[in-house]
Amino acid sequence: MSTETQTGAVDRSIVERLRASPFLSQLSSNRLAITGIIIIVSVVLIAVYARITYDLSELMATQFGTNPAESPPSSEYLFGTDGQARDIFPRVMYGAWYAVLYGTVTVVASTFLGVSLGIVAAYYGDLTDNVIMRTMDVLLSFPSLLLALALVTIFPEELGLWRAVGALTPVYTPRFARVVRGAALKVLEDEYTDATRALGATDPRLLVRHVLPNCLAPITVQSTLNYGLAILDIAALSFLGFGASPGEPTWGMMLSNGVEFGLFSGAWWWSFFPGLLLALTVLGFNLLGDGMRDALDPRMRETVD
Amino acid sequence: MVSKRFVFKRLLMLFPVLFGVATVVFAILHLSPGDPAVVIAGDRASQEFVNQVRSDLGLDDPLWQQYVRFLGEVATFDFGQSYQVNRGAAVSQILADRLPITIELALLGQFAGLLFGLPLGILSAVKQDTWTDHLTRIGALSGISVPIYWSGPLLILLFAQFLGLLPTSGRIGSEYFVEPVTGLILVDTLLAGNVAAFQSAVVHLLLPVVVLGIYQMALLSRMMRSSMVEVIRQDYMRTARAKGQGSKITVMKHGLRNAFIPVITVVGIQFGSLLGGAVLTETVFEINGIGTLLVDAINRSDYPVVQGTVLVFAVLYTLVNLGVDLTYSVLDPRIEQ
Repeated sequence: MSTETQTGAVDRSIVERLRASPFLSQLSSNRLAITGIIIIVSVVLIAVYARITYDLSELMATQFGTNPAESPPSSEYLFGTDGQARDIFPRVMYGAWYAVLYGTVTVVASTFLGVSLGIVAAYYGDLTDNVIMRTMDVLLSFPSLLLALALVTIFPEELGLWRAVGALTPVYTPRFARVVRGAALKVLEDEYTDATRALGATDPRLLVRHVLPNCLAPITVQSTLNYGLAILDIAALSFLGFGASPGEPTWGMMLSNGVEFGLFSGAWWWSFFPGLLLALTVLGFNLLGDGMRDALDPRMRETVD
Repeated sequence: MVSKRFVFKRLLMLFPVLFGVATVVFAILHLSPGDPAVVIAGDRASQEFVNQVRSDLGLDDPLWQQYVRFLGEVATFDFGQSYQVNRGAAVSQILADRLPITIELALLGQFAGLLFGLPLGILSAVKQDTWTDHLTRIGALSGISVPIYWSGPLLILLFAQFLGLLPTSGRIGSEYFVEPVTGLILVDTLLAGNVAAFQSAVVHLLLPVVVLGIYQMALLSRMMRSSMVEVIRQDYMRTARAKGQGSKITVMKHGLRNAFIPVITVVGIQFGSLLGGAVLTETVFEINGIGTLLVDAINRSDYPVVQGTVLVFAVLYTLVNLGVDLTYSVLDPRIEQ
């Protein structure tokens, strides 16, 4: 009885908070954004489940003795088998783990770097600002996939998929730096910043406790949109041959193998299912990111009269 | 009208960016673990020969000397010679041969994207929050989520393998040879007056352009929609309607013109993703453009080719954005301030 009232109270406070925050209430009423959240949560659950359940070395080994090669989808092999007679279904499930893990590291690393650089540039201004932002401009002058392809060459092949993370992080960092610098400049102009400073707050405290929280909204939107892109670009690098090692059950690698060896022998399922999961995952992030952006944009809140 | 001063200022701003771009490319190649001298000399070459190659290339000079020499070469469009992909050929010549192929693909993809994306975006905005709008938006979001290297092979499978309607790869049937004049296959076949070859080229380019175009269409329809939605709310739109103008005319006459401005910027910014998409499309459809060249060169450690390709892509991207900025200021003179 007491627990019930407690959960009821919690629920009510969540609802109230949702109502109080125009951002969250806007987001929760956006059906597309909710669909996005459902897709993302499912992919993360699949990723964790696959990581716990399957043995990676078993997924990577050829299975000629046990399974037929290039067998079409059936009740036994839900997504069929590939040219090495491996069951595609668990491999695709495990691919979710790779996408989530490497996508997360890429986004977290570029968010962290971009946010730090953006805030520092906004706060210190002058030369610091110029050096940082002009460097960001130069990085932004490259088409993103091309810069990533060039950067991939820096890293030794043994690093596998981490090469893709290392190549994409400098590509995404400037986007965060730009957004955050703009937001931080606005915050720094506000009077409460002066007040905080007058109260004796140090630079780091002011930046972390006051400026950063006020830039969180644009950072979150940017991260979400770049999450989908990161997963897509990591897979693209794998597809082009830079990233995963052969046999690794990443979506990009499976797609690449499936297209190269399976497509013209008629084994469409080899590349179809990894690609489907990849597209769905990216769609999930795009749906959510889109909804977040709409919810943040005050102009979107009023409906047309 | 754009003032000469503004154009001049923007052109002047180009130099530091290009300088930075060249520096980044130089840095990337010098951070790469591979040794160009070994690549050229071959794995089995003697140490003396490798050293000989290294000093011939000037790779044992101090770094700053190499850097200065590199900047000088870049400024004169001399990217050296290819080590591997087309051994001994000047990189600038390889690029000149391959670039038109990529440009043609990218332009056709962009055109297809504009042709379908803009009307869809306008439709979506005008019919905001109806089923048409929802479907278009979901379609557009799906369009930017679906990887080219997945949709491309699927379309090849459907139209080339199962239905046998379209060829699977390449730019033109192998039975045709057309003298490259412009390098653009559609133009060259027409210049040669070879209608059959032109038709073959059209049929070959259809799928790659569709794949690349879907992505652009999705992007552009989203931008067009959000821009149009905003414009529709403006007071001048209401005024125009209040004056008794039909809504269709209002949208076309006042809405479109104003809604186009942000979309044009987006076309410029997205030119980068268009080029990235072209690289992937070329790989999928085995088209020998600058994208397949880059992938090939990276795989075979052909550093001068990698260098030249990345630089050309960056310069192209920067120039397109400069062009967009200038167009933008023609459309909206307030930008200059």
